[in-house]
Amino acid sequence: MKKIFKIAALAVMASGIVYAGSDLVKEGEKIFKTKKIGNCLACHAANGVKLDGPGSLGPKLQGLSAWPEKALYDKVYDPYTTNPISAMPAFGKNGVLDDHQIKAVVAFLKTIK
Amino acid sequence: MKKKIIASLLLGSFALLSANSFSTQADKDRKALQAYFEKKFADRKNASTYFPYSTKDELDNNFKWGIKGDEFRLGSYAFDKGGRAQHDEMMDMPPFEDNIDNGKELYEKTPGMKKCFPNPAIAGDYPKFVKGKGVVTISDAIVSCAKDNKQKGWKLTKGKTADLEAYFANASKEKGKKINVVINSKEAAAAYERGKKEYYTQRGYLELSCATCHVQGAGQRVRNDILSPLFGHTTHFPVYRLKWQGLGTLERRIKGCNKNQGETPHKPGSTWTKELIYFMGYMSNGLPVDGPDIRK
Ligand code: HEC
Ligand code: HEC
Repeated sequence: MKKIFKIAALAVMASGIVYAGSDLVKEGEKIFKTKKIGNCLACHAANGVKLDGPGSLGPKLQGLSAWPEKALYDKVYDPYTTNPISAMPAFGKNGVLDDHQIKAVVAFLKTIK
Repeated sequence: MKKKIIASLLLGSFALLSANSFSTQADKDRKALQAYFEKKFADRKNASTYFPYSTKDELDNNFKWGIKGDEFRLGSYAFDKGGRAQHDEMMDMPPFEDNIDNGKELYEKTPGMKKCFPNPAIAGDYPKFVKGKGVVTISDAIVSCAKDNKQKGWKLTKGKTADLEAYFANASKEKGKKINVVINSKEAAAAYERGKKEYYTQRGYLELSCATCHVQGAGQRVRNDILSPLFGHTTHFPVYRLKWQGLGTLERRIKGCNKNQGETPHKPGSTWTKELIYFMGYMSNGLPVDGPDIRK
């Protein structure tokens, strides 16, 4: 009996993790699209994602699923490390997005083909 | 022989000095800026350099190329065909007509106004650098005249001040006046340099400078908004903005753009704002006064 409980609990936990994964993507997408938070679409279109009037200060995002997570994290945290004259704001370094929020954005970016 | 050359070189530089050495740098900056924008919008062929992330469709179909000089007074509508068509349609029945009428009445009936501004066609002559006071924008001049005459309710950003500015701008436009900002002292040149430095400084938590959006960024889009060039920015204020559903001064617009940068806006009457406007005004020197106008 106890064992069954344990297995059930484990199953819930496991599925919880799976859900957390897609919730993270959703959270990242929301940050990407929301003016008061990330507002990434102010400058970027994204391949395969429907956006309301993406800007053109930055490139259309594509092929990001092939980028290592760390490279994406670093880009959002501080684009100047890889491009000293970038016009992109440093979302992590300047405290616009916290660690968790950047991870969520990265999870979303990883879905961009 | 050598001495002679040096002597004539010296004479040459003296001649320059008397022509107005205080604005030499600013004139250079202004010319370079105009040349930059004229080159940027000259030809579809250079688009990949200046607009690397713009869509092919907008570059092919929505951009007007070959923009020069006076056309830049229209801001982004100089090259954005779609925006221009909407703008021209609204100008058939300009929403600021009543503001101009109200401004005229304020000019005639507000105690002291006529004395402060004997000639209403002066929109292009501001901002001015006044010894002992520093930079005075047209809004500053109006508000302090009202205060000196014990009038209440005059703000730097909108309302009566904007209406009076609309009247001044319209009178200046009818007379064919141009932007004519003057730098004629060491102090004035220093104020200009400070304004310029602020314009190019990255600010706010987004670390964007005014120039990110209005020099390099001009012609690119923030969401659906096509960014206008610095060259021409001060020609057409006050502006009726659809977003405001009313008229606003340059001070009001800058407050909004401070927010775009993720920065708590500087106060409209601050030295920071005044010196920034002094720099911006000088950059539009020689362009026709074209206010009031309409913007999204
Ligand atoms: C003010 C404009 C602006 C904003 C806002 C902005 N970016 Fe950028 N972004 C740029 C520019 C310009 C580049 C190209 C230069 C560079 O790589 O640094 C870029 C590059 C990138 C790249 C690299 C793309 C490639 O193919 O090399 C990624 C990934 C990216 N941005 C993600 C984001 C995310 C995520 C956000 C929001 C959290 C964001 N950006 C917000 C302007 C912006
Ligand atoms: C994140 C981008 C961004 C930054 C940074 C920015 N602006 Fe703007 N600005 C805009 C947008 C968008 C508009 C509306 C479209 C247009 O006319 O350019 C605008 C409009 C303006 C206008 C009105 C143009 C017209 O034709 O009527 C002025 C003036 C202006 N900005 C000045 C400034 C100044 C000064 C700064 C720096 C203190 C600044 N902006 C920083 C985005 C920005």
